[in-house]
Amino acid sequence: MSETYDFLFKFLVIGSAGTGKSCLLHQFIENKFKQDSNHTIGVEFGSRVVNVGGKTVKLQIWDTAGQERFRSVTRSYYRGAAGALLVYDITSRETYNALTNWLTDARTLASPNIVIILCGNKKDLDADREVTFLEASRFAQENELMFLETSALTGENVEEAFLKCARTILNKIESGELDPERMGSGIQYGDASLRQLRQPRGSAAQGKQPCNC
Amino acid sequence: MMERAMEQLNVQLNRLTRSLRRARTVELPEDNETAVYTLMPMVMADQHRSVSELLMNSKFDVNYAFGRVKRSLLHIAANCGSVECLVLLLKRGANPNYQDISGCTPLHLAARNGQKKCMGKLLEYNADVNICNNEGLTAIHWLAVNGRTELLHDLVQHVMNVDVEDAMGQTALHVACQNGHKTTVLCLLESGADINRPNVSGATPLYFACSHGQRDTAQILLQRGAKYLPDKNGVTPLDLCVQGGYGETCEILIQHHSRLFQTLIQMTQNDDIKENMLRQVLEHVSQQSDSNYQRILTSLGEVATTNGHKLLSLSSNFEAQMKSLLRIVRIFCHVFRLGPSSPNNGNDMGYNGNKTPRSQVFKPLELLWHSLDEWLVLISTELEKSRGDVTTSSGSEIASLLLKQREVDPSAPEANSLSTTVLAPTLDPEVAMKTSEAYASSEDVISMTANRLSAVIQAFYMCCSCQMPQGMTSPRFIEFVCRHDEVLKCFVTRNPKIIFNHFHFLLECPELMSRFMHIIKAQPFKDRSEWFYEHLLAGQPDTDMVHRPVNENDILLIHRESIFRSSCEVVSKSTNEKLKQGIAVRFHGEEGMGQGVVREWFDILSNEIINPDYALFTQSADGTTFQPNSNSSVNPDHLNYFRFAGQILGLALYHRQLVNIYFTRSFYKHILGIPVNYQDVSSIDPEYAKNLQWILDNDISDLGLELTFSVETDVFGAMEEVPLKPGGTCIQVTQENKAEYVQLVTELRMTRAIQPQINAFLQGFHTFIPPSLIQLFDEYELELLLSGMPEIDVMDWKRNTEYTSGYDLQEPVIQWFWEVVESLTQEERVLLLQFVTGSSRVPHGGFAFLMGGSGLQKFTIAAVPYSSNLLPTSSTCINMLKLPEYPSKEILRDRLLVALHCGSYGYTMA
Repeated sequence: MSETYDFLFKFLVIGSAGTGKSCLLHQFIENKFKQDSNHTIGVEFGSRVVNVGGKTVKLQIWDTAGQERFRSVTRSYYRGAAGALLVYDITSRETYNALTNWLTDARTLASPNIVIILCGNKKDLDADREVTFLEASRFAQENELMFLETSALTGENVEEAFLKCARTILNKIESGELDPERMGSGIQYGDASLRQLRQPRGSAAQGKQPCNC
Repeated sequence: MMERAMEQLNVQLNRLTRSLRRARTVELPEDNETAVYTLMPMVMADQHRSVSELLMNSKFDVNYAFGRVKRSLLHIAANCGSVECLVLLLKRGANPNYQDISGCTPLHLAARNGQKKCMGKLLEYNADVNICNNEGLTAIHWLAVNGRTELLHDLVQHVMNVDVEDAMGQTALHVACQNGHKTTVLCLLESGADINRPNVSGATPLYFACSHGQRDTAQILLQRGAKYLPDKNGVTPLDLCVQGGYGETCEILIQHHSRLFQTLIQMTQNDDIKENMLRQVLEHVSQQSDSNYQRILTSLGEVATTNGHKLLSLSSNFEAQMKSLLRIVRIFCHVFRLGPSSPNNGNDMGYNGNKTPRSQVFKPLELLWHSLDEWLVLISTELEKSRGDVTTSSGSEIASLLLKQREVDPSAPEANSLSTTVLAPTLDPEVAMKTSEAYASSEDVISMTANRLSAVIQAFYMCCSCQMPQGMTSPRFIEFVCRHDEVLKCFVTRNPKIIFNHFHFLLECPELMSRFMHIIKAQPFKDRSEWFYEHLLAGQPDTDMVHRPVNENDILLIHRESIFRSSCEVVSKSTNEKLKQGIAVRFHGEEGMGQGVVREWFDILSNEIINPDYALFTQSADGTTFQPNSNSSVNPDHLNYFRFAGQILGLALYHRQLVNIYFTRSFYKHILGIPVNYQDVSSIDPEYAKNLQWILDNDISDLGLELTFSVETDVFGAMEEVPLKPGGTCIQVTQENKAEYVQLVTELRMTRAIQPQINAFLQGFHTFIPPSLIQLFDEYELELLLSGMPEIDVMDWKRNTEYTSGYDLQEPVIQWFWEVVESLTQEERVLLLQFVTGSSRVPHGGFAFLMGGSGLQKFTIAAVPYSSNLLPTSSTCINMLKLPEYPSKEILRDRLLVALHCGSYGYTMA
């Protein structure tokens, strides 16, 4: 039987080559660090059902290649994304400097309501750090992004990054700011009616109680 | 004493008269078993007076159970509705709750058969309505199964628990829903039946209604707030509706649970669901309103786009994603073609009633086509780059490593998603480092994405075509193929299977086909013929046609003595569609039918077609092959017969029946639309062909041939001057234009002379075999398809072979040669024969009758000095194989096979 969920969100993972986008996705889905990782060719796909604020949400995640040569291919996946992880490498200023370009792409090509979270990856390599937490968080603030430093190696903040993004989208739906029915919103209803009926009262408690952050 | 005897006699006499008068016994036998069979027919006929009379003075036990099922007479009365007898029996103390072997009481039987009065009386005599039979069924179950609402209404008041369950946990409501008895369902609900009661496997009344597509019942349940619940295995009512293809019931479900719409759409991704059922449901729902139509297509488009994007992710499962994408797109196209429901714009391809473009529904898919386009552009850039790489040799180390990798693993292009993961561990660490540092090589990107992109192209084609009238290719798609011509050619050159798996559009679009023809023609015959049949029979319900049982009216009734004419008649009477579906033949006055008779019919008929009496076909010079007779017009109806001949050949090919005719090489070319050349002339006039060859081989400038572009022909005894081209009689043939002359004169001899016949033949042939499909083959293969693989007797071949220029039978090379021939497959032997003699067939009578350019010419093997990589060559006009003196059998075999597979078709002047 097909899995059931309340909502489906389409997510993007974008950022320069070698920042660890695929490793973040792998860590999020498999709870493991991906050892011998190759450059992504085109766009990879992963999905996971998570519980956010008492709702089951299926995240459909499109992990894009960072290399310049794939740029036009990956751009064609932007449309209809509800959320995005914008990733840079804290040990590489070059990847940080490229953020503006990535951001412009996301804001122009994806839905205008797209929720973006900035991820400073490779937090575990603090010794080689080239981008400070402070400047990155200032950048995030200026551009109305959420911000986290993550480590795909240790798994630190990986789950949080995805969940935070999902939670924000969910809040926007509940506040009416986002309309899931609108085409290209990157959001779909699952067959939640079925799920609720199948587990009558009580069993919903297994998920966390609504948290309105 | 006497008196007593008299009295007894009187009693007996009395009894006898009574018995005779009533035509039955008047006294019950002593034992119950015999008595009960006396009574049973009377009870069944409700002859209550007789029964009463018989029972009067008897000791019969009214509760006596008899027969295999151990029923009492009360059961019988209740079952048959014999209400008077029933009352009589009850009065005499029959037990109203007596249960037979299966646990049924008389009330059960009365309820099952709807015996209203009997039920009433049984209840009067305190029959228990709550008794279950062995399966747990009660009287209300029986009433509910058969929808006896009125009776149920009466009975239900006496019932303790309207939700009484049978052994499977089924209530009366379950069974009423399953059988779709609307009023019964309402009655049960009004009597307080539990609308959501699950049976032992968790199936609810709604579940039962859906499992049998009981639309109205489902409607009632949903209106009364029935919950939408799956069973214990997670099977939902919607699943059941889709499995059964119950569109109307699905529609009701969606009306009440709007989220189920998305679920229904998502089901298109589920491989376990039957596509045709799901399609049927979606088609129905789409027809309910214009908004449904739009919504279904838009949603399907979104699902297809997501699927397509997943397919383009290299780590996804290629097979599963591809099948899923193509299934969704197929359903999409079907629903789209059906059009919106409003009848006034049903034929309007562009706009629906609201003036919203119907093409709007394609919008979500545009994302996928956009990605496809970008991917192909990327590949094209990569191709250019890899060309650059070769010259600068930068990164060629890695490229060659990758190439080697691919050679080791022949499945790589198929399972290309594996190649990256396989790659890393097998390389030594240093190189692996470099690989991951460097770009994934261009080669790699192409080989890994080719299959996936091709499948998306196939989907794109389907979507483009469903907006076009049948049989037309969309300009957008043509433009697309032209734009990406280079990349697509690169794909199919690297992996020709792509053509057969995904590029079906080529078969429907000759303009595009021509671009790929050279690649397709280079593919194995087997692949092409499979593709051919797959497409030829596409849309036919069953591919194994000839065995299909056929309607009596569709049997072709043939008169053996006039097989040609009667076949022509019945075939022209039948429709092409019927003939495509299947053929059954019966000879007049004979019983036989089936495959054998069909084969015999084709066999005899094909012999008749070339029967010289009809003057339709003439023999070629060597007497084994045929071509249309240029003088066939002696038969005034000849063109109709040619069309018929074409139909028969087409029909045979369509149904994979072999015919017993071999045509000349040039006629096969005519069927294929391939231009003939001067060598084809040799099949009808070998001497003349040699002369043409001579003109071409020698300088004719100073010979004074005085030839013009015209010929004299003999038309029924009168000589006529026929120009080869306008004004040809005045144009001299020179060294410069002799090639044109030879071609024109060849066309005159081979084509123009029989053009009307060819055209008529093709008209018939094309009714079954589209020209776009047959062009997949060359003339040799067409012969193989039509007439089959000839048997080749190697012993006979060896016996009739001559050796020259140093070879003899004792030579090791010759020994090896025959050993190799023995080991070849039948197909390869045919290729060898074709390679050397130009014909795939052994002449009638065997190799001893092999014909050369001028009379009998045995198969000959000539020695050629060996040099490395030298391949065998042949001279077909003298049936000579020029076999280099190979140093070993292995090399001989290898080189011979290379020559056969590359060189058996097409002539090179070696």
